[in-house]
Amino acid sequence: MLLPKLAFRNVLRQKRRSILTAMSMTGGYILFSFFVSLLDGSYGNLIELFTRDHTGHIQIHFGNYLDRPKLFKSIKRRSELEAALSEEEAVQAFAPRVFAPALAYAKEKSTPVTVVGIDPAMEKNTSMLFHKVKEGNYFSDDVNADGFYPAMLGLGVADSLKLNVGDEIVLISQGADGSIANDIYLVSAKVGTKSSNERQSVYLPMFAAQEFLTMGGGVHEYAILLNHSDEAIDVADALRSRMQNSDWVLSPWQKVEETFYKTMQADQQAAYVELGIVIFLVCIGVLNTVVMSVLERTREFGVLRAIGTNPGKIISMVIMETSILALFSCILGFIISVPINTWFTYVGFVLPEPVDIGGIMASHMQGVLTFKVFALPTLVVVASAITVSIPPSIRAARITPAEALASH
Amino acid sequence: MHSKFTSCLLFISLLVPLSNNAAEVPSSEKARALIKKMEDLYRADSSFAQLTMRVESPHYQRTMTMESTSLGTEKAFIRILSPKKDRGIATLKQDKEMWNYFPKINKVIKVPPSMMMGSWMGSDFTNDDLVKETTLADEYALQLEETDDLYTITLLPKEQTITVWGKIEYTIDKKSMVPVQQIFYEDDGTKVRVLTYKEPKQFAGNLLPSIMEMIPLNKEGHKTVVIYDTLELNVDGITEEMFTLRTLKKRFR
Repeated sequence: MLLPKLAFRNVLRQKRRSILTAMSMTGGYILFSFFVSLLDGSYGNLIELFTRDHTGHIQIHFGNYLDRPKLFKSIKRRSELEAALSEEEAVQAFAPRVFAPALAYAKEKSTPVTVVGIDPAMEKNTSMLFHKVKEGNYFSDDVNADGFYPAMLGLGVADSLKLNVGDEIVLISQGADGSIANDIYLVSAKVGTKSSNERQSVYLPMFAAQEFLTMGGGVHEYAILLNHSDEAIDVADALRSRMQNSDWVLSPWQKVEETFYKTMQADQQAAYVELGIVIFLVCIGVLNTVVMSVLERTREFGVLRAIGTNPGKIISMVIMETSILALFSCILGFIISVPINTWFTYVGFVLPEPVDIGGIMASHMQGVLTFKVFALPTLVVVASAITVSIPPSIRAARITPAEALASH
Repeated sequence: MHSKFTSCLLFISLLVPLSNNAAEVPSSEKARALIKKMEDLYRADSSFAQLTMRVESPHYQRTMTMESTSLGTEKAFIRILSPKKDRGIATLKQDKEMWNYFPKINKVIKVPPSMMMGSWMGSDFTNDDLVKETTLADEYALQLEETDDLYTITLLPKEQTITVWGKIEYTIDKKSMVPVQQIFYEDDGTKVRVLTYKEPKQFAGNLLPSIMEMIPLNKEGHKTVVIYDTLELNVDGITEEMFTLRTLKKRFR
């Protein structure tokens, strides 16, 4: 118990210097914690945004459909796949989809669109589509009395064709068998906004889309929703081993939104480099303090050695002094960080202009309050303080009584 | 009705032995006459045919039946009869223009000149193959080579001709005077597709290959086969009125 007591007293001996060092470490801690909160928070929000909005956390495609989409690359044995998905506990919801490019006509105007076939009930649980209906009604599978299927239009399509709910829309495309797909649909709803992801989409009930494209019962994609985006890779691995079908390719959102994921990783790496520089500067300050206090106390260490103190104990004492200071700084930093990060998590900044991050628009920045936000800076600050105090402490331990007496 | 066609045949049959012996008829003239004859074989002054088209690809196979009517070289009309999903889809060719009609959406869509080399109804035949907008005999420079059994005519596009082919090799059977094969080359000399004529049959007194098989060489596993189920040439009752946009949109069950 002697050593900590000594170390603690030593810290208090030069109060002003200790306070200044502690301040720089506290500043480092706060900055670090804030940055981690910002990075994890804003990216976390973005990931939640697009995974819950439309991509889901995991997608399943046939072969390399994700890279080279072709109409014929469709998943056929759907009941088998759906059974496997239902068995996996982590899977919250899933929805099948069919995609094809098409030309939409109405009143002598035309525009290129993406036809998206969805299962109305399953899609409602998996993506935000249901909540994006701006006008009209979210459709069901049913044909109307005249034999027309309903269609929901992205706002971009509705605007450029000047279509309203109840109007007819003509779609022309190529079927999976090479035939010319053509049919008329009734607009049942307008969805999304002019800038949202589905602005050029035309949603059709699954059966109608499959019939339109002569696809039989196949689908192009399954979007799977989990409890949290963090689980995607693990659950994808688990599902992969469960399915045992090499034609079904499972891609976690990190693969589906690869551009975004890579941009995010690059940005995070850059941020960590910046943090590294901050910590480096803090370390220099700490090193300065420790070296100063060791040099100042040459005689003292000489005496300690002369009365038979073990050099190891001297090293421990010097390191302990820095550690006490670092821990104290972390506690102080934590006390200051909590309100800052809390505000940032629940309020945050709104960006004046949305920023495009790998194709996904970020409109506001918010933090996050996790264990990592506070633990990581503590670990880094304490570890780096200890590291920089090792060389001066060794120096202190090497002082011989004769040297010490000669130094003044 | 038959007179014009037979006189044409006569003319050619006269021309052929003549040119064999006498050097005064230039070979390109003879080639021109041969190509013209081949191009008119299935058409004559007017024609009515029932066809089956089978489109094969690595991922699908489908069969369509259709009716084709033509008048002169300028006008043609094709209507798909089956499958049910495509029934009633029609194509009208008038001079150098072409329209498709889709009954389900009651819409006539003009095929723009840029799409003439595009696929017709997802087959390996282009729109141009169907409507023969490009007249081979006029728009290509011709070279004739002969063997004992075959005429081989090499067609090179004239400078002002708009085409995607760098060269076409047209082979004709000497004895039966029917086309055997057409090989299409790109500008750089690579073979792109081969059209083969098979199984000659008697159609209204004319011997004609009843099967045309188009194989694109740049798309593995793709093939389109057209089978002439019936063919009538110089049919009475085919009139100009049958080749209008109004007829195209007329209700068809």
